[in-house]
Amino acid sequence: MAHKWGMAVDLDTCTGCGACVTACHAENNIPTVGDEQAARGRAMHWLRVERYWEGDFPDVRLKFRPVMCQQCDAAPCEPVCPTYASHHTAEGLNAQVYNRCIGTRYCANACPYNVRFFDFFNPQWPKPLHLQLNPDVSIREVGVMEKCTFCVQRISAASIDAKAEKRELKDGDIKPACVQSCSARAMVFGDLNDPESEVSRLSRSPRGGKLLEDVGTLPKVTYLARQTQV
Amino acid sequence: MSEASSRKLSDDLLRPLLETSWRFYALVAFLGSIVLMGLCTWAYQMYMGFGMTGINNPIFWAFYITNFVFWIGISHAGTLISAILRLVNAGWRRPVTRCAEVITAFALMIGAMFPIIHLGRPWLFFWLVPYPNSRLIWPNFRSPLVWDFFAITTYLTGSVLFLVLPMIPDFALVRDRTTGMRHKIYGALALGWQGTPKQWHRLESAMSIMAIAIIPVAVSVHTIVSFDFSMAPVPMWHSTMFGPYFVAGAIFSGIAGLIIAMAALRKFLHLEEYLHPVHFQNLGKLLLMMSLLWGYFVFAERLTVWYGNESAEIAVLRVTQTGSFAPLYWTMVVVNFVIPVSILSIKRLRTIAGCVVASFGVLVGMWLERFLIVVPSLGHKYLPYSWGTYRPRPVELLITASTFAAMCLLYTLFAKFVPIISIWELKVGEQEPFETAKERSARVLGEARP
Amino acid sequence: MDRRDFIKLTAITGTSATLASCGNPEHQLIRFVPDDDIVPGVAEWKPSVCPMCAAGCGVTVRVMDADVETVRSGQAGVVKMAVAKKLEGNPKDPISQGGLCARGQASIQLTYHPDRLVHPMKRTGARGSGEYKEITWDEAIAELTGQLDTLAAARDQKSVTFLTRPHRGRRTALAAELLKSFGAAAPITYELFADEVLRRANAISFGHEQLPTIDLARSRFAISFGADFLGTWNSPVAQSAAYGAMRQGRPGVRGAFVQVESRMSLTGASADEWVPVKPGTEGVLALGLAHAILAGKRPADAGRAGAAIEGWTSGLPDYTPAKVEQITGVAAKKIERIAHSLVELQPTVAFIGGAPLAQTNGLFSALAVNALNALLGNVGQPGGISFTPGGGADLGRPLGGASSAPTLGSAKVLLLDDVNPIFASPKAWKVREAIAAIPFIASFSSFLDDTSIMADLILPDHSFLESWVDSAPESGSMDAVPTNAGPVMKPLYSTRATAEVLIEVAGKLKSPLALPWKTAEEVAKSTAKASPQPPAPSPKSPARFAEPVFDGDATAYPFHFLPYASLQFGDGSSAHLPWLQEMPDPLTSAMWSSWVEINPQTAERLRLAQGDLVDVTSSQGTVRAPVMIFPGIAPDIVAMPVGQGHEAFTRYATGRGVNPVSILAPATEPETGALAWAATRVKIARAGDPDGKLIMFAGEMREHPHEGKTR
Repeated sequence: MAHKWGMAVDLDTCTGCGACVTACHAENNIPTVGDEQAARGRAMHWLRVERYWEGDFPDVRLKFRPVMCQQCDAAPCEPVCPTYASHHTAEGLNAQVYNRCIGTRYCANACPYNVRFFDFFNPQWPKPLHLQLNPDVSIREVGVMEKCTFCVQRISAASIDAKAEKRELKDGDIKPACVQSCSARAMVFGDLNDPESEVSRLSRSPRGGKLLEDVGTLPKVTYLARQTQV
Repeated sequence: MSEASSRKLSDDLLRPLLETSWRFYALVAFLGSIVLMGLCTWAYQMYMGFGMTGINNPIFWAFYITNFVFWIGISHAGTLISAILRLVNAGWRRPVTRCAEVITAFALMIGAMFPIIHLGRPWLFFWLVPYPNSRLIWPNFRSPLVWDFFAITTYLTGSVLFLVLPMIPDFALVRDRTTGMRHKIYGALALGWQGTPKQWHRLESAMSIMAIAIIPVAVSVHTIVSFDFSMAPVPMWHSTMFGPYFVAGAIFSGIAGLIIAMAALRKFLHLEEYLHPVHFQNLGKLLLMMSLLWGYFVFAERLTVWYGNESAEIAVLRVTQTGSFAPLYWTMVVVNFVIPVSILSIKRLRTIAGCVVASFGVLVGMWLERFLIVVPSLGHKYLPYSWGTYRPRPVELLITASTFAAMCLLYTLFAKFVPIISIWELKVGEQEPFETAKERSARVLGEARP
Repeated sequence: MDRRDFIKLTAITGTSATLASCGNPEHQLIRFVPDDDIVPGVAEWKPSVCPMCAAGCGVTVRVMDADVETVRSGQAGVVKMAVAKKLEGNPKDPISQGGLCARGQASIQLTYHPDRLVHPMKRTGARGSGEYKEITWDEAIAELTGQLDTLAAARDQKSVTFLTRPHRGRRTALAAELLKSFGAAAPITYELFADEVLRRANAISFGHEQLPTIDLARSRFAISFGADFLGTWNSPVAQSAAYGAMRQGRPGVRGAFVQVESRMSLTGASADEWVPVKPGTEGVLALGLAHAILAGKRPADAGRAGAAIEGWTSGLPDYTPAKVEQITGVAAKKIERIAHSLVELQPTVAFIGGAPLAQTNGLFSALAVNALNALLGNVGQPGGISFTPGGGADLGRPLGGASSAPTLGSAKVLLLDDVNPIFASPKAWKVREAIAAIPFIASFSSFLDDTSIMADLILPDHSFLESWVDSAPESGSMDAVPTNAGPVMKPLYSTRATAEVLIEVAGKLKSPLALPWKTAEEVAKSTAKASPQPPAPSPKSPARFAEPVFDGDATAYPFHFLPYASLQFGDGSSAHLPWLQEMPDPLTSAMWSSWVEINPQTAERLRLAQGDLVDVTSSQGTVRAPVMIFPGIAPDIVAMPVGQGHEAFTRYATGRGVNPVSILAPATEPETGALAWAATRVKIARAGDPDGKLIMFAGEMREHPHEGKTR
């Protein structure tokens, strides 16, 4: 059976530390836009840790929620792209084909999660920062959209290795950069079509829910609710 | 009509073609320089990167899409006036039709530029055209943007036909009145028109077919443009009302544009004898009706959102009505509804000047309406962490300004080379008996004359 | 010709045609023969140790080929090298356990930073101007050797000072050995957020002068007094891993914790209960809990930890819930409830860090928490605190404000090893003036920062990925984890391992020093001599609560000032890394900015809106920064992150933001001399409209912004 990649994020364990955000930048060659462009709202955090305050001092609470592309099964970004740059793959991922994108940015508008980002300028890496670039991930030029891919380069590499070694992929063989970096182990990645995988198990948790479920996007990230003890 | 008055009509209406004052050159130079500046600005934007605009995350569409919808909306004037009035055989349409159809053609051309201007990689816009290619891939026909492409090209083709067909007899007239190079060019454009009964019959048939065919195309164009918004799950975009709302708004802004164009032509080309106050009054009544219709749509939508209290939509409602967009919103309400309804419902105020004032207000208001549909919703989607604000940058302002200059320029050039009022239609109209509205409706409805 | 030859020919002619058409053949890049054995496109993973904080997380580095522009024998060219691409936590490392924090991920930018110092330099302009000229390594070493020889000739060996960070492992051992052989005093260390007070307290209470390891993974209830243990305190990655296990790692058992602090930290956001207290009264709360646990019974034997507290043996009469409520502001009922949890949910643990220790009574607070742990019986037990064997003793002596602390005063030669005291110390300590007065300064740092820009001679170290690294973590694991690892890539530039520079200098002195190591590898692989534990210090008298002393009187300076270690920059030492500047601060979403956190009611009262500029003034000076409305802070406290405000620190951090440390009063904890950085009071005044410098990634603060508002 074909894989169906999904993730689970445990909000009871996530500390909001942001290691996943930086790891994603490092893995996916995400440009640093600088202070001027960041001030104009062009920072590109494929994965962001949302924070929301609740209440007022002294009964004040703060909650964190890492949000990345939900790889929706009914993705609103897919039908609206005029050039098929945003389309669904056989393994359930929402693929963004940089070469096909002409930059209408309709997909970004349609995405209710605001996880799509646009290259407003050609990215710059003052030398020798370019030596850090991951050769497995394309550099995007000005005018195209980009977003989290569930580290498809890692999925591909692991799949190729497994095929070459004539074995099946095991649960835990593939870890996107964010999942790997999380010290609290709050993020889990795996095959939703494998009922024994950890991500499948967590997606069945009574604490589990989806973000913006009623918009009808069928996202593939399960958020496990934060618990409290009184 | 008498030979003398027929001659006078031709003379008056051909004068702009045959005589050119320095004012024309000055105007063309002025408008041309603004348009040139706009083109340079666009080249600059393409060279430096789309980041020169004010677009950001999450507001990925702003000025350019507003302009796109605005100009496509303006283009609905021609259809309404020409096609519908032609079908009901309203006599007062005659001096107005070509002015209107020209607006349509040029507004469409200008509007159609914007989907290219707003692309991140505009040099690849042709991928929206379905042509067989080595990549073995078609455009995504599910995308409203591809529907836009088809709708606009269809409408543009249809409108250009609708415009050019009745120009043929007038080209023939100019051919017969001129010599030299002009004679040759207009002769070629006249396509050998001799005014035989057969040719007239063919022309009338073609016009009738086009008039019927163009109306659903026009309605579908702006409906499809509205689908750009309503198909996306964005708060206050995902509204079932957008199709009719946008079409009504388009016709509304179109009539306003038409009134202004006509008033300008009347003044600068001295067409007082041909464009009478009654023409403006009738258009003014249409404008009043559209203003009321527009007000109804806005009220219905906002009441529903407010009453329904769905939190994402309420956030957008708030920001437009009481938040940071409130000044723009209430300006829009005043200039789109309060002022036009006040002026146009009072007969004494429904003069040419009154209509023009109301129309300018409507143009401003309708541009604001498009802006207020696009930007506040994008800035306030479902996750408040990602809410954002927008401010236009110089490139957007310059390009926007240059499109208005481009419209004026194209119009001026058109009026220089083609009679802006359809001469033959006017002459035909002189020959027909005057009808009251009652008589006309009876005739159209096939009843006996009262 | 056949097809193969044809293709070869077109390829060659094509290439040479292209190259020829480049014009001047001097512009062709020469490709040097690679000396790395690497298969293009295939990654190798090599171990190293992250240098960003003292936790010493083991990392594994992905190494792949890349074309590096380099200069060899005066020729510019490219060479294919194996270079580091990404860091991950090493799954086999007991500290990192496969995870890595944001700073750790960003540390790779240290190697590839565009403003990294790439060759030795000698100062040409005025001191502090940043004007240097390139010199050779031979010249640099000769210069340094010459300076030391001059001191030796004048029998003034004691006038050389080596200034570095604490807990740098064998590197400091080398420096200490060199200084001792030479005849100078031990290295001086400086770190702003050093927790020296906690180490002293642990020495007194438990005989271990080191930071504790907290076994959260097996704990069921914890109380943290001000310690940002998930963000910046102690060993955050290890603690986060333990936290994850505490929450959801045991089927059916979910651990909980209480955070006691007056400004919500990253850690506080995850707490089950967040308890604000009056600054400087945390120790009182700890003893209040102890009192409630004892509930009037004769106190359990809490050993030395208990003996260190006055009144322990008589049942802590001064710390009844009512009295504690009065002092701390925490309701008596809450104290009793938390005490109940501490008993019922055992194993339970308490710990303290951060601002409570940075008060004049910080030592008391730390001793109080230690006594509480001893009472709970969790010291050295699963689910409690323990002390990593072999960790602790630092061979340096901390720079401090107390009269007994070493100063830079009389140095004639200063060797700066990647430490920035001009930035990270209060102006009142006059560190800048002291350093400016030193006749000769050499720096081994890879970057010009506020302190190293004063250097006369620069001998840049390799980056950690190009070096032999070692660590013996002081905390984070119940077992000792001494680690060393070799370089994962060859040096990119003409830098040299500082260890080897020191060894070479020692060998080239007129009276050469005999050091036990010849290479950086030997240094890294060496082990510390097992020295006997120094006798545990006994306090002068059992500790009792003394009101914290704040600088500035409460009427003129109505707010407590809290400069806190920022998640991205720590004490400012990673402000030059662009990923960290652009990373949205978790609590505020701010990027590239400085700000002042103010309670919303206070802001309203002072008519301050988000982004407005305010002047924050202490008795020592003023800083100006934008307002950040911050619901999680007490109304009489304002806080600022530490890290920005560098006068010099590469293109990314120079001149950006303001440095709150500069206005700190030189208050100290009396016994250790550690800077009491939370003891300053300030006043606030509106200084202007927003200037656009406060950059935030987020739009809104609340998920339901209109919650509570009726139609």
